[in-house]
Amino acid sequence: MRGPRGHTLNPVRRCVRRVLLGLVAGLYLLSIPWYRESGASAPLVFGLPDWVAVALGCYVAVAILNSIAWLLTDVQDPEDPGGDAA
Amino acid sequence: MSFDELGVVGLGIYLLALLAVAEVARRARRDASPADHFLAGRDLGVFVLFLTLYATAYSGNSLLGYPGEAYRRGFSWIMATGFMMSIIVVFHLLVPRLRPLAVAFEFVSPGDWVRHRFGADRGGRALLLGVGLLMTVALANFLFAQLKAMGVMAAQVTGGIVSYEVGVALLAGTVLFYETLGGMRAVAWTDAAQALLMMVGLSILLVWLLGVSGGLGEMTLAILESRPDAAAVPDAVECANWASTILLMGLASVVYPQAIQRIYAARSGRSLRQSFALMTFMPLGTTLVVTLIGLAAIPRFHDLGGVEADRVMPLLLGEWAASGPLASVAALLVLLGAVAAIMSTADSVLLSLGSQVVRDVMGRSHRADSTTRLGKRIAVGVMIAMAALAMAARNISLWGLIELKMELLVQCVPAFLIAAHWSRLRARPTLLGLVVGSLIAIAGVFLDVKRIGGVHTGVIGLAVNTAIATLGSLLSSAPHSSAPQTSAAPPTRWRAAQSGQPSTS
Repeated sequence: MRGPRGHTLNPVRRCVRRVLLGLVAGLYLLSIPWYRESGASAPLVFGLPDWVAVALGCYVAVAILNSIAWLLTDVQDPEDPGGDAA
Repeated sequence: MSFDELGVVGLGIYLLALLAVAEVARRARRDASPADHFLAGRDLGVFVLFLTLYATAYSGNSLLGYPGEAYRRGFSWIMATGFMMSIIVVFHLLVPRLRPLAVAFEFVSPGDWVRHRFGADRGGRALLLGVGLLMTVALANFLFAQLKAMGVMAAQVTGGIVSYEVGVALLAGTVLFYETLGGMRAVAWTDAAQALLMMVGLSILLVWLLGVSGGLGEMTLAILESRPDAAAVPDAVECANWASTILLMGLASVVYPQAIQRIYAARSGRSLRQSFALMTFMPLGTTLVVTLIGLAAIPRFHDLGGVEADRVMPLLLGEWAASGPLASVAALLVLLGAVAAIMSTADSVLLSLGSQVVRDVMGRSHRADSTTRLGKRIAVGVMIAMAALAMAARNISLWGLIELKMELLVQCVPAFLIAAHWSRLRARPTLLGLVVGSLIAIAGVFLDVKRIGGVHTGVIGLAVNTAIATLGSLLSSAPHSSAPQTSAAPPTRWRAAQSGQPSTS
């Protein structure tokens, strides 16, 4: 893939970024308690109902993975020959 | 000095500080062009960009509406932390495509993208008008919600010395003054100050909240005793609503005009990605905290229903302030942080509204200084109208307003996200999809059918909208003659843009 000034974007970074975003999507699915019996009372984990603790854990992981994905993202400016691809 | 008098003094000092920042921003102005006024000369670095994104994203709705919703719905409102984070995830779909074009073609308003992408024929112009009108309605709704929150908070900070109506007028007037004086530069700099105040306030509040509740475990046990259903595993409809809300908020927030304009206003692509890398953590320090505030209120206040639940944070702070002089000052800081959050969102919305109406609705896309002046006049008119409305209509839930705005805004998603990635998307089917999707969302509001099986009517509208736009484009004949650039800027136009010649797009 080539940017506006023709420089090549780093394919490894693109690939890692895509994997991270795929993991983020998976974590979002896991954060919603589809898999639990509705209305059931839940044991406490870290002071929260367990399904809430799972959701919160997922969101902490999303924050970390998404942040790394942003640092790997190529956001190019036309006046920047190196872009963010370096 | 009483807490209420302390509040009047604190609010006065805060507003004067904002006016001083606005004057500094006015002096930093380079010229009267739309790019300088509406985008701060496209020179926002990482620090200010991050803080202005943060202050704009976390509004009065976040600080007043979200605790109220957590109080009403219980622990399932943990979803709010997820959906606020999803906004920064969905931006991955837009920023890498939009940013290079925005720089090359000197975009100012969101409609500049639509104009560039879909061309200037009848279909393109009609779509531009449709997107412009929809965004304007959504922004006006958003501004109304901020003004309403301003009145509530001004009365709360001063213990009623400043009434709801005077609070709306005073804070709206202040926002209007610094926004018209210093444009995006004043908005971004005051946003930065407001974001810092908000962060400090919420941190103090979190420490107090956990201390007074005896820790998370004790707080949860108290909630279980008071309202066991608030901690029970949600049913299938609530889970569907959880997923739907993540989709709705993630997708709709990405097409916020003020967020799009910050993509344009960044100093560089590097600044943008670093700001977003930081922003992704902010829901943990903001949305999670306000959710815990709402939950902590469940065992404390038993009879808050409907709109009253939006008052849980001010009520908790009032309780805290009564416990001693040091707590009074800390509570005041939190309250001022909430006022800051509201004002920082209102100023960004107002600035976007001005440029949006002038360029996208009225079609004045040239770079003349008169465009800036007209944008300022429109901002004044809209602010006065919305302030009057906020004074007249108080009994509307803040979360209800957020949902309505989002369900309309999300209909713009095909014109931005799909258009950025799929070159065959055409203007006419996109416009038809936008109209049908919006009608479904509006019908949901008027028929009081906000959700079907937990899924927002706006999300259902978006599904229909997307199907019409994509199928209609596929069924259309040969590829569009003015098929737009979606990934790179043509060198000739880029050179023209660099040399300051008017864009022909």
